[in-house]
Order: sequence, then structure tokens, then C-alpha cells
Amino acid sequence: MLALTLKQVDSAVDDVWAGISSWRLSHFLAWQDVRQRYRRSTLGPIWMTLSFGVQIFTMGFLSAFLFGSALEKSFPYVCAGMLFWNLITQTINDGATLFVASARYITQIKCPLTVFLLQMVWRNLIVAGHNVAIYVAIALFFLVVPSPSMVLWPLGLLLVVICLSWMALVSAVISARYRDVPQLIANILAILFWLTPLMYFPEQLGQKRFIADYNPFTHMIALVREPLLGGEPSLNDWLVVLAIAVVGWAGTFLFFARFRARIVYWL
Amino acid sequence: MLSIIGKDVHVEFPIYDPRMRSLKYSFGIKHLAKGISRIAARDRNVGGQIGAGEAGRIVVKALDGLSFEISEGDRVGLLGHNGSGKTTLLRTLAGIYEPVSGAIQTNGRVFPLFDLQLGMDQDATGIENIWMRGKMLGLSTNQIKDALDDIADFTELGDYLYMPIRAYSTGMALRLAFAISTAIIPEILVLDEMIGAGDAAFISRADARLKSFLARTGILVIASHSMAILRQWCNKGMLLEQGKLVAFGPLENVVSIYESKVLPKNDAAADLLVLTPPPAP
Repeated sequence: MLALTLKQVDSAVDDVWAGISSWRLSHFLAWQDVRQRYRRSTLGPIWMTLSFGVQIFTMGFLSAFLFGSALEKSFPYVCAGMLFWNLITQTINDGATLFVASARYITQIKCPLTVFLLQMVWRNLIVAGHNVAIYVAIALFFLVVPSPSMVLWPLGLLLVVICLSWMALVSAVISARYRDVPQLIANILAILFWLTPLMYFPEQLGQKRFIADYNPFTHMIALVREPLLGGEPSLNDWLVVLAIAVVGWAGTFLFFARFRARIVYWL
Repeated sequence: MLSIIGKDVHVEFPIYDPRMRSLKYSFGIKHLAKGISRIAARDRNVGGQIGAGEAGRIVVKALDGLSFEISEGDRVGLLGHNGSGKTTLLRTLAGIYEPVSGAIQTNGRVFPLFDLQLGMDQDATGIENIWMRGKMLGLSTNQIKDALDDIADFTELGDYLYMPIRAYSTGMALRLAFAISTAIIPEILVLDEMIGAGDAAFISRADARLKSFLARTGILVIASHSMAILRQWCNKGMLLEQGKLVAFGPLENVVSIYESKVLPKNDAAADLLVLTPPPAP
């Protein structure tokens, strides 16, 4: 069951490498997905931005009233946090349906599976890019100045995306085999929303702060949210996310190598 | 030199029914496997062999120890009744299914053409679809640019190319799909049943294009139930039965084996169906 041959590792390396080197295809397909949402709809993906705006408007007030923080603090905080949280949940949830949704392609042409993963991650980054508009508006309104630690922000985002990719890949492989896993994952993410400091600040947890500290998503969010808000992520955030990225991908790669060739049989 | 070499190729499909795909049932699979293999023991003319694989999984042995060598210039017709493994072999040749054991060694790029309309988007224009489909087929940007004029000429779609293909008739959409798929001559072409396109007025032009497309391909492997099509396009035949390679050689030899060996059995089965008395009122 868990025996892994050198050949399997080899073919998995080939798959990932071929997928990365045909990034143009992933890029093209991702844009095609986004274009599809623009079609025959006047606002297209702007709808998503609008609904994100409404979500932030509601949550910003709610956060201020419920947890007693100032509006000028809660609004940018909630907005920046949710921007990345939506990216995280969308990517992992899309991961769960990734191979099943692309089954028509996977069973008819030989194409590295990595292509579909990159397509999906890139598509979600493009969609998240639309939502940045809301954050810019809020930051301008409340005069939030990003901190100098923004220099390292792209690196932080890259690390977070790397973490997300392996999480999406694992859920894609398991979900291709066990079709009730996507619902399970959606449920876990729904619970994690409450356990991650998005509406409230970690300090507000008081003695129960460990709930946030032991939650890997807290650190992933903090790494990309804090610089935007004028603060900076702690060294701890960096180390935790780096560890998640490295250890996660090492495990995921072996897992992927073991089952990659089987995936097409499961579809 | 193009070639495809198969060495003791085995392909097995695990069978999951909707219940078995869920987590809780994967713990009770062994009982089911026993039941299914009992059913499988009955006489059967179609399909691969059913058995219990490792870990008590139910598997269909779709390809069972195939060894063969296909060289440049070969036009191979795959014969066999339903479920004999033709499509599975084609997909294995294309690298979509990886053999459970054994190996397929291909020298040359394999171009599988199973669904002409794969990757086409109803809401996108004809031009956008040429790009989509071209990219999916692995063509480079330059190859697609070069093919654009050729495709526009051939399809005679004119201004329709700038309309979403939702507005096309079935025949027009097929023309476009056919033109894109035949725009680049592949090294190794793998077909499941013959491709074709369009309405009567278009057929002779499509035929001419198809002829040159198939003639210039380095290696052609096609599965078909039509002896006429196989005789027209192939010089070699490969006969599969329950996932095993029964014969591989000059087409006429293989066709005669197929007709003497496989068809009578099918006819007998058909007779049995006819002879079954209708249920009593």
C-alpha cells in the first residue's frame, strides 16, 4: 500500500517539472476560466468583488461591535484577513474537486496533472487580485499605511501560496478516490474560520490564545496581513509557515508520487 | 525512427460503485469482491476478466500481458468485440493509463484524438476555441498562428469565426473541431473510431483533408468495428480478446481470424437472445 518505487518518484518529478515548464498552458487556462465568468455578464468577476465588499462591510461592523475594537482598526484588519482567508478556502475547496472537474481532459489526453493544479491556484490568485480593490479603498479611507516590512511581503505571499498548493493537491488526490472528502474539507474549513483570528484579534482570546497560536492558518494569514496593516509578522510566523511549506511539500510529494498514476483510474 | 514497443503490458481497473467510493464502505469491500467474482465465473463473451486484486479490490483486467512492436509506417487496426480492451490499449499507448506492470516504450510524440470537441467552450468565439483546443492539443503559439488561416479557409465559416460557437449549427461546430484537430500532422496518431465532419456538401473536402492527414502520420493506430474502414486505412491488424493479444500481423490475416473466431461466438450469443421464450402472460 505504502511502498514507493524509485520509478514512481521519477515520474512524479517529471509530472511536476513538465507542469511547471508548461506554465503558459496553466496561465492560458486560468485566464480562460476568468474570462468565462466575464461572459454574458455585465459585471463578470466584479460580482465577486462586490459580494466581498458587502461581506467586509458587514463583518467590519460586526467585529467592532462584538469585540469592542475601533472601526478604523477592525475594518482594515477584517478586510486584509478575509482577502487571504477567501483565497485559502477557495483554493483548498477547489483542490478537492480539481481532478474530478478536469476528468474529461485527464482521461482523454496525456497532460501533467500539475498543469491543472497550477491553473487552479493561478485562477484563484487572479480572482483575489480583483478583491484587492476593496482593501485599497478601505486603506485609503482609514489612512492605513503599510509598513516597510512590505519589502518581504511578496516572499510571504509566495510561501503562503506554496503551502496552499500542497494542501490543495492532497485534497485533490484524496477526493478523487473518496468522493465525500470535499464536503468533509469544506466543513473543516468552516470551523477553522472561527478558530482563526479574522474577526477578532488574537489578544482578545485572553487565556485561550493557544487556540490561535497552534492554528497554522493564523500564521499564514499573519504573514501576509500584518505588513499591509502597518505592522510586521513575527519571526515565529515566518518559521512556522516556512516549516509548513517545506515539510508539507515533502510529504505531499511522496504521497503524490505514490498515487499519481492511479488517479486517472479513479476518475 | 518512430516506434511503439509494448512489453508484457498489464492494465487493471479498480471498480468502485458510488457507495464504495465513500470512506465507510472501503472497510467492507472483501465481501463484495467475493460476490462479484462468483458472478464473473459465468460464461461471458464481452469485457475483460474480473477478479480480486491486491487488498481484496475488485479489478477488471483490461489488458493482460500484451507484447508487440509497432514501427514507422504501420497502420494498425484494432479489432475485438466490446470490452476486449481496444480503447484501454489506445489510452495506454497515449500514456493516459500507466500500465500496472510491464511497459510501453514510445519513440515519437503520441497524439490521441478521441473527442474532437474536447476543450471547446460554447460561449467562446470560433477563434478563441481554435486557441483553446490548440493549446490543449499541445500546439505552440506559432503553430496555432500558422494554422489559423488554414482553418478559416477550410471551414468556410467566415464571420462566424468571430461568433460564440453556441450560435453554430452542430455541423458547423464539428467542421471547426475537425479542422483544428487535423491542422497539425502528428508523429503517432491514435484514434478510437474514424473521425469525420459535417454535411454532405462538405464531406468530399473533409475526406481529402482526412486522407492527407492520415497518410502523413508516421504511425496510425485506430480501433474500429467497421471492416470497411480498417481495410481502407490499415495494413496491419491487432486482435484483442478479453484483454489478451490474440493476433497481430497483416490486416487480412487478422480479419479472417477475427471473422472465424470471434464473430460466430457473438452470433451464437445473439441467437440465444432471440430464442429466449417471452415471459408467460
